[in-house]
Amino acid sequence: MSVTHDEVRRIAQLAELDVSEEALPLLAEQMSRILEYVAQINAVPASEGVKPFVPGPDAVRFRADEVKPWPLAFGPAELAPAFRDGFFLVPKLGQFEDAEA
Amino acid sequence: MSDPSEALASAKAAADRIVKVKRLNACLTPIKELRKSLVAQASAAHPSGVLYGMPVAVKDNICTLEFTTSCGSKILEGYRSPYDATAVAKLKAAGALIAGKTNCDEFGMGSSTEHSAYGRSLHPFDKTRVPGGSSGGSAALVAAGAVPAALGSETGGSVRQPASLCGVVGIKPTYGRVSRSGLVAFGSSLDQIGVLGRSVHDAARVLSVISGRDARDATCEDRDSLRLPNVPESLQGFVIGVPKEYFPQDLDPAVRRACDRAIRLLRELGAAVREVSLPHTAYAVATYYIIAPAEASSNLARYDGARYGPRFNGSEDVRSLYRTTRGEGFGPEVRRRVLVGTYVLSSGYYDAYYRKAQQMRALIAQDFRNVFDRGVDLLFTPTTPTPAFKAGEKLNDPVAMYLSDIFTVTANLAGLPAISVPIGRIKGLPIGGQLIGQAFLEDEMLEAAYALERAVPAGEEA
Amino acid sequence: MAGAWETVIGLETHVQVRTESKMFCGCSAAFGAPPNTNVCPVCLGLPGALPVPNEQALKLAVRAALGLGCTVHPRSVFARKNYFYPDLPKGYQISQFEQPLATAGSLSYLSPDRGIATATIQRLHVEEDAGKSLHDRFPKQTAIDLNRCGVPLIEIVTGPDFRSPHEARAYLLTLKQVLEYAGISDCDMEKGSLRVDANVSVRRAGETALGTKTEVKNINSFAYVEKALTVERDRQIAVLEGGGTVAPQTMLYDSKTNSVRPQRSKEESHDYRYFPDPDLPPLVLTEEFIAEQQTLLPELPAKKRERFVEKYALSVTDAAVLTADRTVADYYEAVVHAGADAKTAANWVMTEVLEDAKDHADGLRVPPGALANLIGLIRGGYVSHQAAKRVFAEVAERGGEPRNVAEALGVIQVGDTGVLTGWVSEVLAAHPAEVARYKTGETKLVQFFLGQVMKASRGKADPKLAQRVLEQKLTS
Repeated sequence: MSVTHDEVRRIAQLAELDVSEEALPLLAEQMSRILEYVAQINAVPASEGVKPFVPGPDAVRFRADEVKPWPLAFGPAELAPAFRDGFFLVPKLGQFEDAEA
Repeated sequence: MSDPSEALASAKAAADRIVKVKRLNACLTPIKELRKSLVAQASAAHPSGVLYGMPVAVKDNICTLEFTTSCGSKILEGYRSPYDATAVAKLKAAGALIAGKTNCDEFGMGSSTEHSAYGRSLHPFDKTRVPGGSSGGSAALVAAGAVPAALGSETGGSVRQPASLCGVVGIKPTYGRVSRSGLVAFGSSLDQIGVLGRSVHDAARVLSVISGRDARDATCEDRDSLRLPNVPESLQGFVIGVPKEYFPQDLDPAVRRACDRAIRLLRELGAAVREVSLPHTAYAVATYYIIAPAEASSNLARYDGARYGPRFNGSEDVRSLYRTTRGEGFGPEVRRRVLVGTYVLSSGYYDAYYRKAQQMRALIAQDFRNVFDRGVDLLFTPTTPTPAFKAGEKLNDPVAMYLSDIFTVTANLAGLPAISVPIGRIKGLPIGGQLIGQAFLEDEMLEAAYALERAVPAGEEA
Repeated sequence: MAGAWETVIGLETHVQVRTESKMFCGCSAAFGAPPNTNVCPVCLGLPGALPVPNEQALKLAVRAALGLGCTVHPRSVFARKNYFYPDLPKGYQISQFEQPLATAGSLSYLSPDRGIATATIQRLHVEEDAGKSLHDRFPKQTAIDLNRCGVPLIEIVTGPDFRSPHEARAYLLTLKQVLEYAGISDCDMEKGSLRVDANVSVRRAGETALGTKTEVKNINSFAYVEKALTVERDRQIAVLEGGGTVAPQTMLYDSKTNSVRPQRSKEESHDYRYFPDPDLPPLVLTEEFIAEQQTLLPELPAKKRERFVEKYALSVTDAAVLTADRTVADYYEAVVHAGADAKTAANWVMTEVLEDAKDHADGLRVPPGALANLIGLIRGGYVSHQAAKRVFAEVAERGGEPRNVAEALGVIQVGDTGVLTGWVSEVLAAHPAEVARYKTGETKLVQFFLGQVMKASRGKADPKLAQRVLEQKLTS
């Protein structure tokens, strides 16, 4: 299962992760190695029609609809690397283009 | 302990002991801050709590109001959590003292604590070797005698494996036994907070306190906290299965010897021991390394530098903020797993990888059910294929590192409780043996563990 | 021209359900708080925080699904929709994908082109809302407010059922009405509790295959729905008539210029990598849970309209007006129940009551019983219709019993024949010349006499009765 450099670039974009051109070959190689290794599960035919298993409760528990704010030791202003007038700040959307307000 | 002066003495002594083993790079909290906090905590602790005055170190990926929670990563360097993990809150309610944050592989991803952004932790007996991971710092601190117990976390064996390598006890509870609220998520359907302790008793006491229902975690079962069993006189009536897939031909002979000795002792204690089979074991690591990275790729998407954590400079737009933050803030192992995880979830690959892995997981869980349904109470296996390996030994090939989880991942995949107990030495290095129990029957597992611990000459060469 | 083309539109509506707290945490879901004050580790996406679903949100979602005739699935699954955006703190949205809460519903509505039409509801599922990004508040920065992040939404997806922008709007208004009736949501597009995205494509009339569709976003009011869809439809037609092909992209509507432009993002990678959320076990609803929501579903607008037509002998149009708003419909019925004649009550509600409500946020200010009394007074001849309007306004403003208010205003008409005869006699005696002229055939003079009677009675005489008494006296 060989992962091409282009695929790594595409996946890195999806994952919003900078991957330098120098790091690309080794990363592609390592990813290929890992994916090749894990792909062996396809050798097991018997899993067709088997229901996935997830541990934990069978059904989700609900929460009553009450306003019960989580008591925090400090608020967003203290957490944020950039904060003004009550808002989190990030650099302007450049390549994201959306008029959502 | 019932007296504030005793708690204070305990606090100071813990700080002293932790300082003494600074060289291990196991504790990430600056000593001045640690000492000050321990003293303050000692005076505020609840004297009627069952763990009153007990210093418990906490892995860096579990949220605490005290100290930072950086998950061994640059991307959360200096991050202070505004809330305590439920497990931590329960420790405090029981009067325990939070004795600093311990080093770990970044976000729990690793088996050696070499993938921490804050330097590797050293094995307490041999500084050229790793303490295991990802809860290496916690294991080293307990093994070095600095604290009687520490919280760690498991996704694929990250409590049991370092316990085995460092010669301490490591318990992973049944999935849903301990709340995950405040445990920084890695592989949500696999993660559990676990405990490392110098004895089964120490580890189990702490596990009992942190276990139990929590309204803040929908995957935490609505049960009372774990009931601690008594130390049994014998293991009469116990049926212990030994799965042949965990004793392959090429198993390290010394590990085999140590396990054989332990099995003999279990028999002498009165347990019936029989060989069983868990046929899909060979696929467990592969299954794990699809599911865990997939969930991780989604769980780690929130680390983007926007709302908390350090901001990496020089971003003209928000997308470049994300990419720089994540590109520079994540280490190579995390990066690899996030990319692999993104890949196996992506369109075109989801069915062949992720969906298939979920089905494999069902088969693996079914293997255990089949064995337990046939009258077996517990399983006994080696915890790790080798004792502590040398630092740098497994860094070149990621898969080589993954294979050190070969005996531990199945319990995470099946959601079962498991415990590693030191069972001997191999050329002076500790090695652990593992008991895997049935879901929510930790008490039976602990009974057997108590008995084994008492009987086995853990300090003797195998 | 548009005649040769058929427009095909499907709508995705996001509706905030009426809860006190958010979908997965106990923060307040209220609108309008100062930024980032209704936040917690869960909706901030802090490390270690986990979601726990809001029971009321699920109840309302089930109720909405039932109201839209959907099949509610007792077992559904929360899934993560993974993408990066400043107002999405976890880097994923908790939604539903392969196993949604409900499917296969329908909603009938009045299409301006085709009469009664039925929209298919392909699916209805629950999800959490994202926060808000403000791009113009600070220079070179985007400001993020996460108050809205985590608020519970239901997403309602239709098939490609609408054949005109007008139709799409009609459906939306009907949907809004049903959801308001059932108490699911405020459906306020200004407050963002109802948002709509549309899928638009065109094809040559008669073709069965669907054309390439675009998604139209950023439609901020019901009025803009029609405008935006019209603009996009026309754009696609122009492209195709010019020999080009429609690119499958997202278009953003700009209400200021009434135009659409493509949403520019270099990577159209909408690979959301959906997978079941491992933090949330399956959503399992008992029969009782679903049945309870069925009982809590009120009589819906269409049914109520039909019943009004039958029970109160109203026209379809009148019934539609009276049932447009559930509170008004309930009010109307209360007025009739209190004894008012159905037709008169309908007229009063449709005119005076709704006018008054429009100008006063207090809504329906005159209690139903009072209005019924007032209508009774008119029927009994105690007040004229004109005077009654004054009484109504007074009761609306300052309350009181209509009878007392009418007396205080001095508008009670006298219908007592004895008293009327007195006035009539007075007037006739005072105008002998006119009486003589009347008797010679100038019957029009009755109006003059009536005017005099009204003057003599200071407006209190019941004009109809007075006229009858006059005519009686004059012909005797």
